[in-house]
Amino acid sequence: MNTPDSQWQRLAAAARQVRDERDTAAPSGFATRVAAHAFARVEQPFSALFARFSWRALGFASLLALVSVAANYSSISALVSSSDDDSASSEIVNEIVNPS
Amino acid sequence: MPDETFDLAGCLERVHRRDQAAARELVEHLYPLVIRIVRAHLPRRVAEEDLSQEIFLKMFTRIEQYKGSVPFSHWVSRIAVTTCIDQLRAQKRRPEFRWADLSESEAGVLDSVLTNERDVAPDDALAASELVHKLLDQLKPEDQLVIQLLDLEQKSIAEISETTGWKQSLVKVRAFRARRKLKKLFEELKRMEKS
Repeated sequence: MNTPDSQWQRLAAAARQVRDERDTAAPSGFATRVAAHAFARVEQPFSALFARFSWRALGFASLLALVSVAANYSSISALVSSSDDDSASSEIVNEIVNPS
Repeated sequence: MPDETFDLAGCLERVHRRDQAAARELVEHLYPLVIRIVRAHLPRRVAEEDLSQEIFLKMFTRIEQYKGSVPFSHWVSRIAVTTCIDQLRAQKRRPEFRWADLSESEAGVLDSVLTNERDVAPDDALAASELVHKLLDQLKPEDQLVIQLLDLEQKSIAEISETTGWKQSLVKVRAFRARRKLKKLFEELKRMEKS
């Protein structure tokens, strides 16, 4: 019977006849390049990691500060205006108590 | 084949001491093993040297984690296999298999396989190989790998399990799923040919 399974097996059997004659030795300079890359990568992990994460942390903190200022803008402005009122009234009291 | 006289334990010891010459020797020793895996499972549009380099860099990054529970070559081949699978997954869309995309010789081989029960002629082996890879491209990366190792490299389930690190039951499930998909594909191709 010419079943799909036998069709696949005949194709695979034919494909197995093709031998890969390509060279399997490492190309010139490949091992040197990889070894240099590998050690360069391993040598700078802590400082590089710290630098990467501290920049991210700074960015995140700035964003958080902006968001909190924006979210509390109305209460901050109310506070500023009420402190202006306070200083004006204390000046009047000062004039009454010390008229000279 | 890797050099049998190579002092792997000594070389690994030197690599742990950050000896760059030892790292070079290790790469040269393992290159034939890695390049065979890469060539057998190389995704489209990826250079074999780039992929091999990625595998070796992963090996050096994780080398401290190697505890010797499996032979070092198996440990490296698992890294190679998973890296190839990741690359195959990254391709995302698999090209649809169409008769129109086959070369004349590939179409001839496929037609002969679908319509008669004779073996493929030795002269058509190259076309058959190309065709097989196009058919395998239709499978999921993991299934593709299992069928490649099972039917083309004629490895046993146990050997595939060692190479990939997957349990034997998982290898069998993947092989079953891949064969079912191939069967559907052949039925579809036959229907397309008739119409």
